[in-house]
Amino acid sequence: MTTAIYRPDSIPGPEVAQLAPSPSSLAGLRIAVLDNGKPNAGVVMTRIAETLAARVGAKVTLVTKKGPRGESANAAIPCAPDIFERVVKEADVVLTGAADCGSCTAYSVVDAIALEKAGKPAIVVTTTKFKPIAETLSAQFGLAEARLLVLPHPIGGTDRETLYQWGDAGVERVIGLVRKGE
Amino acid sequence: MQRYEPETLDLEDLSPEAMYELFEKHAWGDGLPLVPPTAERVEAMLAHATGDPDEVLATLLPRAGVVTRRVVAINAVLAGCPPVVFPVVLSAIRALARPEVNLRGVNATTHLVAPMLIVHGEIVGRAGFHAGVGCFGPGHRANATVGRAIRLILLHVAGARPGFGDAATHGQPAKYTYCAAENAAECPWESYPASRGLDAPSAVTVHCGEGPHNVHDAEADGDPALILDKIASSMATLGMNNAPISQGEFFIVLGPEHAQSCAARGMTRSDVSSYLYERARIPAGTFRRHFEELAWAQWMKTAPDDALLPMTAHPDHIRIVVAGGPGKHSLVVPSWGMTKSATVPVEG
Repeated sequence: MTTAIYRPDSIPGPEVAQLAPSPSSLAGLRIAVLDNGKPNAGVVMTRIAETLAARVGAKVTLVTKKGPRGESANAAIPCAPDIFERVVKEADVVLTGAADCGSCTAYSVVDAIALEKAGKPAIVVTTTKFKPIAETLSAQFGLAEARLLVLPHPIGGTDRETLYQWGDAGVERVIGLVRKGE
Repeated sequence: MQRYEPETLDLEDLSPEAMYELFEKHAWGDGLPLVPPTAERVEAMLAHATGDPDEVLATLLPRAGVVTRRVVAINAVLAGCPPVVFPVVLSAIRALARPEVNLRGVNATTHLVAPMLIVHGEIVGRAGFHAGVGCFGPGHRANATVGRAIRLILLHVAGARPGFGDAATHGQPAKYTYCAAENAAECPWESYPASRGLDAPSAVTVHCGEGPHNVHDAEADGDPALILDKIASSMATLGMNNAPISQGEFFIVLGPEHAQSCAARGMTRSDVSSYLYERARIPAGTFRRHFEELAWAQWMKTAPDDALLPMTAHPDHIRIVVAGGPGKHSLVVPSWGMTKSATVPVEG
């Protein structure tokens, strides 16, 4: 004889997002860095953006923190609307992060999904230790195939030279991620 | 109206061992024994609510799992709740779903944040919530199981599974259960919900923060300044998220004796908040040396380095609740930071 019990979970909400289409060519692309204020996030992402720009003939058009007016940032809330608008207007591809903690990973993914919905391929810069969280949250937020650039851990507290090496080593993967929506 | 009917599983064995096996297989549960959520037990919970059991009331982030009365009831059964507390669990979940709570961040963060529940009003006595000696500790079924039901819902519905939807570096014991009642009988002021402008027979407050930090003062002999200066010194520390995030709240759980010492000198609840706002301070330059990013109110950013700045942007962010039993102890409960507490009526 069997007895029925209820499952304790419920279905997740219906939210589903899709990757933005990839640009036909990387040459001439406008790249933005959307910095959530986590230590060294701007350092490593700017390095990646500049190296990528030199490599493919693109240009870095905007480096900004994600808080109001770009003056500050709080990693545990979404990008401020004025900055989001600027990024969408001034860039074709966006690097966002750093996703190297829990809430900052959640909101880096949230920002990336909003950008993808606005037609801008967005790469979330995360670390090896936070990859499982980034993957889980991306799937939960409706974009399992989010573009994650996984760097060594940790970004905060690592010296600039090492960050530059990690960034340079990630550029080919960034190119692949930008093309992911093709 | 959206509806959702939860799935069932047919089991031959409802023993504690079989429940453990099932829950481990699905990566469910909090690691403690569980009461099987049979239809009969779930219906007993739902008898304490009104409205369609399968109406979608909210979604809980980050997983965006849907919340219905029945989904909440299932988890309340699992946690061992007596049915009479069910409206408190349901109302606390409604509170946690409010956008200002920022549950997506609360659940995902590496910080150890857990929702603290404070139950107020007539349901405290009716449902057996405990407001006195050891109110945050073990031994009282309503407190223990309501806090636990909230955690099970966060695990199962919100997806706050450690390492996946919950990145907390350490977690903390308050993630198992974190619930007490306001000690209205020994509070020298109006009830906490009344102080927030809420007029309801029963209410529940949720505050997403750290575990309680104890403050002992037996020397004051009725001098509130000595009590409150010690509380202020516990608040003014650089390691808590309130330090770089000025919108963060503090909950100060005054023991009844400390509260009565303050009231005996004519202090109101807001006087206590204002005093702590004035005394819990750190030089602006020290904050700046420690934090590259300060999520501060704009007026704080203009302060010179030698200015003493408060640990939160406004005295109203320092919330005073009375709970606990005899003794010269109070508690400081810092915030996760990017979250706001919510106090809601208890409704089915």
